[in-house]
Formats: sequence, structure tokens, C-alpha cells
Amino acid sequence: MRKADFRPDRVGAYFRAEWATLLAVTVSGLIYNIGLLAGPLFEGRMAGRLIDVLNGRAGFADMAALVAIYALITAVVQGARYVKRFYVRRFANNVNRRMKRVLYGHLVRMDRPSLEAEGAGSVMTKAISDVDDCVEGMRKFTTELFDTGVALAAYAVMLLTYDVRLALIALVFPPISFFIAEKMKRPVQRAGVKRKASYAALNGATIDRATNAVTYRVFGRESDRRQAYEESLSDYERAAVHEGLLSASMPPIYRVISMAAVPFIIILGARNIAGSGWTSWDVAAFTTFLSCFTRLATKSSSAAKLFNAVHKAQVSWKRIKPLMHEIAPLERAEAARVSEMRVDKLGFAYPGEKAQFEGVSFTAQPGMIIGVTGPVASGKSTLGKAFLCEYPYNGHIALDGRELSHLTQAERAAEIGYLGHDPELLSDSIENNVLMGEKDDAEKWLRMVCLDKEVAAMEAGKATMVGSGGVRLSGGQAQRLALARTLCHKRPVMILDDPFSALDKATEKQVFDNLRAAAADSIVLLISHRLYLFPRFDQVIWLSDGQAQIGSHETLMEKNADYRRLYREQEEEERHEAK
Amino acid sequence: MKRNESAMRVVAETIRAKKGLSLGIVLAVGAAVAASLCPPLLLGRVIDAMTAGEGVPAVWAIGYFALLALAGLMEAARESGLTVFGQAMTHALRSRLMEKMTRLSADELSRQEPGAVAARFVSDVDTVESLFTGGIAGMAADACKIFGILAVIWLRNRGLALVLLLLLPFLFWFTRRVQRGMLAAQMAKRRAVGRASSLVPETLKCIRTIRCLGKEDYMAGRYDEAIDVGYRAMEKTNFYDAIYSPVILTLNAVVVAVVMLLSASGNARVLTLFGMSAGTAVAVMNYIGQIFAPVESLGMEIQTIQSAIAGVKRIDEFFAREERNPTGEACGQEPTDAAVELRHVTFGYDEHIVLDDLSFRILPGERVTLVGRTGAGKSTVFKLLMGLYTPGSGDVLIDGRPAAAMAEAERRRVFGYVEQTFHAVPGTVRDQMTLYDDSIDDEAVRRAAALVGLDKHIETLPQGYDTPCTPALFSQGEWQLISIARAAVADPKIMLLDEITANLDAETEQCVLRALGRASEGRTVISISHRTGAETGRLIMLGGHNAASA
Repeated sequence: MRKADFRPDRVGAYFRAEWATLLAVTVSGLIYNIGLLAGPLFEGRMAGRLIDVLNGRAGFADMAALVAIYALITAVVQGARYVKRFYVRRFANNVNRRMKRVLYGHLVRMDRPSLEAEGAGSVMTKAISDVDDCVEGMRKFTTELFDTGVALAAYAVMLLTYDVRLALIALVFPPISFFIAEKMKRPVQRAGVKRKASYAALNGATIDRATNAVTYRVFGRESDRRQAYEESLSDYERAAVHEGLLSASMPPIYRVISMAAVPFIIILGARNIAGSGWTSWDVAAFTTFLSCFTRLATKSSSAAKLFNAVHKAQVSWKRIKPLMHEIAPLERAEAARVSEMRVDKLGFAYPGEKAQFEGVSFTAQPGMIIGVTGPVASGKSTLGKAFLCEYPYNGHIALDGRELSHLTQAERAAEIGYLGHDPELLSDSIENNVLMGEKDDAEKWLRMVCLDKEVAAMEAGKATMVGSGGVRLSGGQAQRLALARTLCHKRPVMILDDPFSALDKATEKQVFDNLRAAAADSIVLLISHRLYLFPRFDQVIWLSDGQAQIGSHETLMEKNADYRRLYREQEEEERHEAK
Repeated sequence: MKRNESAMRVVAETIRAKKGLSLGIVLAVGAAVAASLCPPLLLGRVIDAMTAGEGVPAVWAIGYFALLALAGLMEAARESGLTVFGQAMTHALRSRLMEKMTRLSADELSRQEPGAVAARFVSDVDTVESLFTGGIAGMAADACKIFGILAVIWLRNRGLALVLLLLLPFLFWFTRRVQRGMLAAQMAKRRAVGRASSLVPETLKCIRTIRCLGKEDYMAGRYDEAIDVGYRAMEKTNFYDAIYSPVILTLNAVVVAVVMLLSASGNARVLTLFGMSAGTAVAVMNYIGQIFAPVESLGMEIQTIQSAIAGVKRIDEFFAREERNPTGEACGQEPTDAAVELRHVTFGYDEHIVLDDLSFRILPGERVTLVGRTGAGKSTVFKLLMGLYTPGSGDVLIDGRPAAAMAEAERRRVFGYVEQTFHAVPGTVRDQMTLYDDSIDDEAVRRAAALVGLDKHIETLPQGYDTPCTPALFSQGEWQLISIARAAVADPKIMLLDEITANLDAETEQCVLRALGRASEGRTVISISHRTGAETGRLIMLGGHNAASA
């Protein structure tokens, strides 16, 4: 089946895509389940043969032949079972992988605002875990289709061939048992839901009691809270006993009900043997019939599983189906050289909020480094984020006349590099965090951010795992690693939000020099609250109260009192520290 | 009154408390085994009668079914009994753990990690339950069944019993081997699956970088790889899962074949061991089929017991944690005019002395601020005043009585505490303030809300004071105000104000400070200041191993 025909929103598509695996399942499943009849058949034959031997009507060799075939067939049948189970699970694994690929493919194409604001992130996370339930249901369905469906049919047919009327009488009882079990399902489910709710409440009460333990002690509420906990314990005990009694004690009863046919089989079977019944039987036939019925009765109790599995899979499939559309292949855009960036009357406001800043205008050429600073909460970071086009901005950002917001996501990704406050490191090796799949030498970039020596001293060098979100690194290391990644993926325009905040000054200067050299053909917008490198920048943007003042460091020192004060303060501190 | 508690002791107590139920379970286990052993014997008789051409009495047929039914009923009774018993046991265990929590020292309380505590109280207790209901009880039942079947076969076909005796150790070894391999494979699978699912939140977190660098395909490839690792681990569990039953059932068939063959051998010496009638043969085939199932579950039960033992250990660790000194003991009240007094108090954590011979007095209605460097013991003084710690030597007196001896019910009327960070409790807006104390009436709650200036806002909520709380219901500053209301709602004589660490904007901070001022009116106020410039009233300097009042 070709990939082009694959419709990820159709359950059938997954079955079709796995046709080879399913064929193996079908063949081995049929052999196994029909072969199951060999058990009762041969048990009867062997008992019959033993009678013959004891009566001298047959010899040792006859028995040996029978016994050998029995053992052989059992081995073949069980072999088929092995193959079947193995392939059913492989089928499930493959479908699981396929579905998750689709979902992940969508996830990775979303952007931050929609993930955060619309809760799409948690929807996707939930959907991915729903896949497990759905596939588990599909697996159980496939398994039970053979193990219950085919096996029950085979047993029933066998019973009917031995004695139609007796078989019909016997076959009345398993459905009764099944019917009662189905009737009981509702109360069992209800009790299960109650138990789960009570369990969650108990868990919540425990966590609260532990979290606020000191508060409760200080305010003298411990005895009262213990009493309340006792109540949730009693509640849970009631719910758990109720559910346990319904679900654990009933299955033996269902089995008994199914087996109620046995007295009929014995009495009427004895008549068959005595020659006064509906059919003429020998002892072997009786044994086979009884043994076959016993297996059918046991199996029939799992018939409910077939329906439950289908139901469960349906529920979770319904939840994920709307998300299972085809993934469009990603377009890739080549970075065009940018010879000028013109920002004109740029303003930005989060939807429904007042403007963070407005009227920012400046022009920049490759090789320029532009510093952005201002007091706390002046909108510095927001100015950087405006370039991500996650929300619409006012005014213009034009790269050689092309408006940034009109570019496609892929084109933008090729032009704009962004490094935010959060280093956004992957739980992976240092090397992979720098390269992210690029074929390059990570060492070079680590050297550029002065991280090479520290990395070399780590236990596994650049193969050292950084832990979830980079927890195993210090703040400064994480920051430099993220910068190395950004430099490795150089873009014509780079927005760096406070990339040096956790570095000491000597390192910061070194890294800055390297950055200047590496980004000689890029435009760099460097957002920072530390100003002592600012004299070396080509332009400075001072943001305050939503307004911007732009000029060289010298101009701002002259004209902007706030900028001057801030710069002097930091200079003072530096001198202080140096002492 | 330090008690030596352990999970096992609680279980033993439950057994003692539920004597009738425990005995009933034992009886049900025995009866279920006995009843399940009988039907094949009767079936053998039926077949022999048929072979001999005799009639089969209806009583036998009905008796056969009655025995099956009895076995089923006994099994149901056993399961029911175990359910009731298991839940009674977990209830007792959890309630003991909670009692223990109220006796823990303040140190232990603040050190504990809520998630870990919940795991102890909830899932570890559950494993102890499964240890008894699934593990030990199941094991007893299965062992009885195996011995019962062997005994019956010994009476019917001595040779087969010998074969089975030889086979059982191998069978058991094989079972354990597969189960152990399965467990290892499952752990590997779980790790791999865990890794794959952790990529999802990671992707959510790093989405900006991914999109910005155009790494969608790289990330998809990475996810694929993680799924593949999980997939390979799963293939291994598939193998173990698929191999066990076929091997066992083939073995079952081979044993049956061998026995049938030998019983048909015609050799007199072989027949002394293996000779049997056709009826016995059918019964024996039935038994052989039955003996494999308990061996398999025995293996599972061993696994349950192994994993449950770790849970038992963790619970016992909790029981062994350090307890606080008992409170509420009758102590003489000295007549004094000081609201709070520390006399020659020395206190330290482990070896490290924090307070050395500290003394000070605070008069009713006075306002003081504790100042000093980090680690000078400001928070320690608060903890001593609140009775969370008892001094190593010296006295910490509130109204002339040792602080640690204050009865629970009195505490809120004596002091209110505004914590560094506010912790919401599950429940309504009212619950945040009262902490579920019904003795605090609506009027008091309203007054406290008005005091901090939140009454208007709360009244506009859909259910007023009964609105269930969610983190988004109030802003950070408003939560701080609720924290103050919680301290003030029981009208305490003393206010203890820890410095609020939350990052508040200037306007909100003023609002909080004004609320603190109103809540302090007419009370003795002791506050902590970590920053300079936020002191009010008299200062008590801590540090330098001496207190100096300025």
C-alpha cells in the first residue's frame, strides 16, 4: 500500500497498512483456534483407546501412534499460538507508532501562543496518551476476535457434530451467564467510577495534608484534619469494598452458571452410550463432548472482553480522530541575504491589552549590533518577541522591503534567529543541543561561547547529557549552550534576549568579541539590562513607558538622563567590585 | 508514649480485630480447594460406570455439578472476604500513618515531599494490600491446590505423581525465569516509553526554538527514534509473553501422552505404577490440566510479594521518623506582664548553635521587628514562638506559659501567623480563611475579609464565600491578602508577620502593607525583616550570639 493513500483519520487505514502482519495473525490464529479442538478430541480418543487396550482390542503400538500424533499436533497448535500472539503485538506496536507520528508531527508544527492560550498543548499530550488506550483496544479486539470469536465457533460446531440436540441444550447456559454478566457490567462500572473518584479524593487529601502540614500545625488544625482524613478513608473503604465485591466475587459465579449444562450432558450422554439416547456414542465421544463443553464455558466468560475492548478503543479513537489529519510536508526556505532591515513605527500589544511600546523606528545593516535596554518591565523582551510574529504587530518590520509578517513561517525561520530568556534546552547531549541535527563540528561553537574547556572537563565531554531542560548545567552554562546553538544556526537577523546575564564580565567580553566576529554579516539585536558593553554597540534603543529613544551610546549618554544614570550606576558598581 | 509501629503490626492487629472474617477466609480457601478436587474423581467414576455398561445415577450428574458450584461459591466467598479484609487493613494502615504524621517533628514535616508522602500513604499501602490479598492468600490457596492434586494423583496413579514431582521443580524454574525476564523487559519498556512520552512536554516547552530554527523534522525524527527504542523493548516483552503458555501447554500434552502410553504398556511392572482405568485416565488428564495454572500464579504471587516488600519497607521507614515532643502537658502559668518572653534560650540544629542565651520581653500591644543577617535565627525565633520547636535550654513563654505546651484549640486565639508564601488549601474561599474551623462564624469571616479589603471582591464571586478556589480566582497580591485574613480571622492576641517573598508590584505591595497595618491594630505584633528599611517599632537584633534591643 502506498503512503499517498494513507488516511490517518480512518481506523481501517491502519488495519490495511498492516496487512502483512495481520495476515500472519489470521493464518496462525485460525490454525491455533481450530487446532484447539484437537485437545478434547484426542483426550476422548485416548480414553477410548485405553479401554480397547485394557479389553485387549488394541495394542501398545496403537496407543503409541495416537499419543505421538496428539503430542505433535499440540506442539504445532501451540507453535501457531506463539506466532499469533507475537504478531498481534507487533501489529499493535506498529499502529501505535504510526498514530503517534501523526500526532507528534502536528504538535511540532504548532506555535507557542496556541499551545499556551488555547490549551492545545494539553490536548495534544492527552491525545498522545489516548493513542495507547486506543491501540490497546485494537490489539485486544484482534486477539479476542480469534481467541474468543473463532474458538467459540469452533467448539460450538464440534459439539453440534457430536449430538445436535444435546449441544443445543448445553449451549443455552453460557449465553445466560454472558447475559447476566452484561447486566452486571453497569453497576460494576458505576462502582468503579465511584472508587476512582474516591481514590483521587483520598490522594488529593493526602497531598494537601503533607503540603500544608506546617500550616495546619501552626494554626492548630491537625486533629481536625486527621478527622477529615479518617472520613475520606472510610469513604474510600466503602467504595473499594463495593466495587471489589461486584467485580472480584462474580466471575466464579458466572462460571458456575455456564457449567449448569453439565448434569444434562452426563445424564443424556450416558443414555447415548447405553444406546437409548438421541445419538449413539462411545465413551471417547462422551469424554470429548464434555471436555469440549468445559472449554467453551470457560472461554465464553471472556466473550465480554471482546465487546469491552471494542468499546474502549472507540471511546479513545473518538477523542483523537479530529486530530488525525494528514501532516503537510514542511516547506523549506533558503535564507535570502538581507542588506537592510527597516523598522518603522513598530508597536505591539498582546490581544486585549494595552500597548507595550509604540513608534519604534530604526534601520540596520549587516554587521550591526543594536542594544536594547530600559527599566524593568519596559517592554524590552516584547520588542524582541515581536520579530517572532506570534501575535500581529503594528507598523512595519521590512527586510529589504519584504514585510516580516507577510512571509511564511518557513521563510521567517530562515531569516530570523531568536534566543529568549529560557534557553529551551533538550534533554539530550551537549553536542545534539548545539547541532540539532546539523552536520557540523559542535566544538567550534562551544569554543565561541567559551564553553569548550568546561565541556571537556565533563565526564563524557560533549556527549554529556544535560538533563531535562538542562538541569545538570549551571545557569551560565545553559545560557552559553543555548547561544552556541543559536550561533550554529546563524540567520541574517538574530534577536538575543539577555544572553549574558549569568556570565561574569571577563567571559561576557570574550563571548561578545566572538559574537561580533561570527555575526559580521548579520544584524544582531541584543537585549540586555547590563550596559557596560553598550559603548561598543552600533546603536542603542532605550525603551521606557512604551516610548523609544534611539541613537548611539554617546548620544544617549548626552540626551537621556535615565540612560546616563543607569550606565553610571553600573559603572560605579563595577569599580566597587574591582576594589 | 513512643510506640513501635510497623506495617506488619497493623496487619496483625487487623487480623485480630476481624477474627471471624479471617477465619472465614481460611475456611473458604480450604473448602474451595477441596471442592475443586472432587469433580474429576466423580467424573472418573461416571466414565468407569459407562465403560462397564452400567447406568449413571442422576444423583452423580447433579452431584458433579453441585461440587463445581460449591467450588465456585467458595472461591467467590474467598474473594469477597479478601476484599473486605484487605480494605479494612488499608484503612487501618492509612489511619495509623496519618496519626504518625500528626506526631512528626516540625523538622520532618517541613522536610517531607508531598508527592512522596502521597506515594507512601496511597500506593505503598495498596501494595501491602496486594501482598496479603493477592500475594500471601493466593499463594496459600495455590500451594494447597498443588498439594491436593498431587495427593489425589498419588492415590490414583502413583507413577504420574512421581513424574509430576520430578517435573514440578523444572516447571517452577521455567516459570520464574520467564517471569523474571518479563519483568526486566517490562522495566526497560517502561523506561523507554517514559522517555518517549517525556519528549512531548519537552517539545511543548521548546516549541519556540524548534519553530524558529526550523527543527520540526529533526524533532519528529528524534521522537521516532525514542518510540523505536520503546518498540524494541516491547518486542522483548512480546517474546516472553508469547512463549510461556505454548511451552506449558505442550508440556502438559507430553505428560498426558507419556502417562497414557505407559498405562497402555501391558508390562506388569510398569502397570503397578501407571495402571489405571479409562475413568481414572479422564480424571487424571483433568488434574494435569489443573496443576499448571497454580504453578503459573504461584510465580506471579512471588513477584507481587517481592515488589510489595519494598512498599512495606518504605512504610516502616515512615513509621520510624522522628517525633516531636508531646504537647499540651499541664505546665504552670507564671503571672507575668509580658505577652512574649524568651529567657536564656539556646537552640541549635544538630551541632550548629543558632540562638545562644537569647532573652527578650515583649509587652502586650507592643510592636517589634526581629532583624539580623540571614541565618541569624529570625525564623527560628518564630518557630520557637509557635511551638514548632522546643528550646535546647531556657524558656519560651507566651503569656507566661511555655509556647510548645499550648493546646491545639487555643493556638489561633493566641497568635495569627502570616506566612512567607501563601499555601491555598483545597476548598472554598471561606475554607482558605477558616482552615475548615466551623467554630469561626460567617461574621468573623466577613470581618476578616473586610479587614484586608477583599470583602467587596469576594461578594461579587458567583457563590460568594462558598466559591470553590482555583489558582486563577485571585491574583498573587489577593492571595497574600487572604493569607492575612487567615491569620486574623480568629482574632488572635499576637500577630507573627513573616516577610512576604512574593514579587508584587509597588501598588499591590502598598495594598498588602496597608492590610497588614489594619490587621495589626490592637495586637502585639512581631515581624521579621530580611531587608533593611522595612522595620517598624522596636528592633530586636539577632546574631552575634546576643540579642540587643535598640
